[in-house]
Amino acid sequence: MGEPSVFDRDRSLEELLLSGGARAELEEALGGLLGQGFYVRDAAGRTLLGDAGHLAGEATEALALRYGVETVGEFAAAGATANERAAVAQLLQLVMRLNARYLMVSELHAAAIDADFAALKEKHAALEQSEARYRALTESLEQRVAEQVRTIEAARTQLYQVEKMAAVGQLAAGMAHEINNPIGFVKSNLTTARGYVASLRALAPFVRARDAGALEAAWSRADLDFVLEDFDALLRESAAGAERVARIVSDLKAFSSVDQTARENLDLNACIRAVCNVARPQVAERADIEFDLGPLSEVYGNAARLNEVFLNIILNAAQAMERRGRILIETRGHDGQAVMRVTDDGRGIPAALLARVFDPFFTTREVGQGTGLGLTVARDIVRAHGGDIAIESTPGVGTTVTVRLPVAAAAR
Amino acid sequence: MADYDEQRRLAIKLVYYGPALSGKTTNLMRLHDTVPARARGELMTLETQNDRTLFFDLLPLGFTAPSGLSVRLKLFTVPGQVAHDGTRKAVLSRADGVVFVADSQRSQSLNNGESFENLANNAARVGLDFTQLPLVVQFNKRDLADIVSEEEIRARWGQTTWPVVLASAALGTGVMETFTALLWRVYGTLDRRFGFAATHGLAGEAFVAAAVGG
Repeated sequence: MGEPSVFDRDRSLEELLLSGGARAELEEALGGLLGQGFYVRDAAGRTLLGDAGHLAGEATEALALRYGVETVGEFAAAGATANERAAVAQLLQLVMRLNARYLMVSELHAAAIDADFAALKEKHAALEQSEARYRALTESLEQRVAEQVRTIEAARTQLYQVEKMAAVGQLAAGMAHEINNPIGFVKSNLTTARGYVASLRALAPFVRARDAGALEAAWSRADLDFVLEDFDALLRESAAGAERVARIVSDLKAFSSVDQTARENLDLNACIRAVCNVARPQVAERADIEFDLGPLSEVYGNAARLNEVFLNIILNAAQAMERRGRILIETRGHDGQAVMRVTDDGRGIPAALLARVFDPFFTTREVGQGTGLGLTVARDIVRAHGGDIAIESTPGVGTTVTVRLPVAAAAR
Repeated sequence: MADYDEQRRLAIKLVYYGPALSGKTTNLMRLHDTVPARARGELMTLETQNDRTLFFDLLPLGFTAPSGLSVRLKLFTVPGQVAHDGTRKAVLSRADGVVFVADSQRSQSLNNGESFENLANNAARVGLDFTQLPLVVQFNKRDLADIVSEEEIRARWGQTTWPVVLASAALGTGVMETFTALLWRVYGTLDRRFGFAATHGLAGEAFVAAAVGG
């Protein structure tokens, strides 16, 4: 049944006796035992060992060589006793059995290894498939997480925008008040001025008639000495009012940096002054601002964003006042950093709350008075500029907020 | 699969399958002791590890039919241990009949079930039609304590088409009965293929008797 790979196939005498190149050794051993006169033949009559020619003419009985239940060949020898020949045949059969064992086991072993390897490959393929499934799952999971993150980011951006609008709204209210004041007295002055112009126009007929007496009488009746003096004063006053409005608008422009949305090299001291100018209406009635501004290297950043930070800190300081107090703003250059420190002598923050002041939506103010995002946004902005923000406070003594920003590379 | 070779010899491969330590090798040893020497070769037991089969055991049997056909039976055992599945598959390959040797001890029920499932799977893998494969189930070790009762065995295996034989191979009972039951089944298949009775003058009784040296 001839499939060579099948371990339990039938084997010829040649394979059973001579596999592994044992022919020479067997011939030599048998020759030593039996001399020249012997042979081993297979079932088909082929001589495998010895030479049948040497036995010619001698009457010798051949012995069957059996393997399993079959006779697979024969053995004959001339110059030996029957016992010796039987012993040699037995030895040959032992060699055949041992060879058969070896051949079957080695071929079975190879087949088993092939089968095990095939099973392993099957298992491997199944594992790869399940790995691919998990990878696909992981990818879709990552995608879903990314989507959630995008949603959260969008919501946060929106909230930050709300916070900014709230701050801008407060600011606008203060500004409106500040602008309303000069506008109010300029308007009142202009009404008065219109009356003064009417008084002057009333003198015109007397001037044209060259009636000096009547002119003199009308001049003093209308008290034009006073009118001219006051007219001059109110024009000066109005000009100063207009100047004030112009300055407020210019401060506001500087604060919002409407012209500049990209980053640039900034003078932080100038920024702080602009912010204080804008914040003055809301701060003035609660605290005096004192400056101690040291020389600073320029900081590379977004003026509008950083101004938002400073405004937030200064307004917080003002709101911390239980009675009229003092806000000290210091700046120092230190170790490649621009350091700004705002110290107030307000009510301070209890230790338990201090750890949470940067948490989003944490606020101690009444509902509607603050979003609880002011310091959160401030910290985000400072970090986006490569800096950090810290807060220390002692209840009843005051609070210090420190902002550190790296100076611009060109300025180092 | 049995087939003639060029010298009109027929080789039949029979495999003793079953869980580890269920007594497959003992079955072959008892057969070797029972069958007369003229009808059998030497029992070849391959290397063992702590008395457990690593590769296989082989007992060759044979006789000549009235027609002159030389019928040779090769009885193999497989290694029962789970780890040797590749070897088990190679030995099972091209089998003409299978004895499944189960261990009657209650503690071994699970191992019996797993091994039987393994037999069915491996038969499919080596291309044997398990539903058509001549198979005899032997419940061995009936002499031990705490064994599954005969009623339980009949209840479970009575529904199947496979003959169930109770045996105690260590004591020699049931071994020949199992083997002859398999021979009858194998004869049915081979008679259809090779016309044993018609062509070779070999009836079932004669086939079974000759195979065990009777």
